[in-house]
Amino acid sequence: MLSGERLGEIEEQVSQVSMTAAESAKILVNGLKDAGIGLIATLPDINLSDLLREVEEAKGVIHVPLCREEEGMGICAGGYLVGKKCAAIMQNGGFFNSTNAIVSTLLQYQIPVLLLIYYAGDIGDRTFASTGSMTEPVLQALGIRYYIMRDIGDAPELIKRAQILAEDARKPIALLLTKELLGRRAALKSL
Amino acid sequence: MKRYDCLKTLASQVNDALVVSSAGAMTLEWNSLHPNDGNLRVRTLGLCSSIALGMALGLPHRRVVALDGDGSLLMNLCSLPTIARMRPTNLVHIVFDNEVYEASGSKQTATGAGTDLVGIARAAGITNSQWAKTVDEFAKLAAAALGGNELCFIGVKVSTERTAVPPFPIDEVENKYRFMRHIEKSEKIEIFKTNLPASYI
Repeated sequence: MLSGERLGEIEEQVSQVSMTAAESAKILVNGLKDAGIGLIATLPDINLSDLLREVEEAKGVIHVPLCREEEGMGICAGGYLVGKKCAAIMQNGGFFNSTNAIVSTLLQYQIPVLLLIYYAGDIGDRTFASTGSMTEPVLQALGIRYYIMRDIGDAPELIKRAQILAEDARKPIALLLTKELLGRRAALKSL
Repeated sequence: MKRYDCLKTLASQVNDALVVSSAGAMTLEWNSLHPNDGNLRVRTLGLCSSIALGMALGLPHRRVVALDGDGSLLMNLCSLPTIARMRPTNLVHIVFDNEVYEASGSKQTATGAGTDLVGIARAAGITNSQWAKTVDEFAKLAAAALGGNELCFIGVKVSTERTAVPPFPIDEVENKYRFMRHIEKSEKIEIFKTNLPASYI
């Protein structure tokens, strides 16, 4: 257990980068809107807080808060079939929860969806090491192309390109959202 | 009560509604009664109501009907609170409850041991949730749901009896393209854009 004092220090550190977290969130949501995304299904993670707040407030985007990520794959598939470009935002544990729907609906029917997956257990995280270690292998096993996002400056262009690829390949594409991208940790230039 | 008899009354009422049907024999029965490019057959057990929700949110002026089963809904119960939260007024969620996993060897589901799906739907927040006890009652509830402007959940207890009908004639990808072309045509929208060759981008 963390002591109250240590928790206070962590809160302080997070609040110091919270300006950038809010800015990152704005940039990401604007990127999604510019890519034409009209429906976003989400399930929270603490590191996605600012991003989800921005999604809630976004105009012209249907926001669907989920109870479990797998249902989000169905909601995105339904949205796509009637003409919406769709994205889902979740933690990598939620991506694991979604695999049956990804395989037997998104891949089987060839449905493009942007999967924005928070990369818990990434290098430097204190928790979810197992989840982190299995994230890329599972994406590879499913044949889902993915890109690790670390620099918020690249985000709008990457999101746009990922959506083009998803539509052209008629497949889901994953963007792994790291803590540095989300403005919740200092970036390392060499990563 | 036979599922086929309920589907027959529904086929006479749906008009241009989009119909999403769960994996299993019900899909075959529905498509033989109402062959239409606005039908989508679901292959992931449980996902029927979620796909229908996505359609209902994406096209709020178009009626969407989910034809679900008890085994399917039990696998994705969390779709009920999500549907209740989004409250699409154009969605009609129908569950044919035969109390078994019919397509998987007819083992009993939890509804056979007393679980009440209409009760769950109502408790999840779908206030207009009702059981239809006869085919006539089902026809009336379906007519009210299709003609109204309110999120509805209808449960129907049916026998395990199947009706001999032809197999579903198309695969998933053809089903998708036919469905989407049907949406383009009936909604007068363009979903598939003609892209420039890669060298132009």
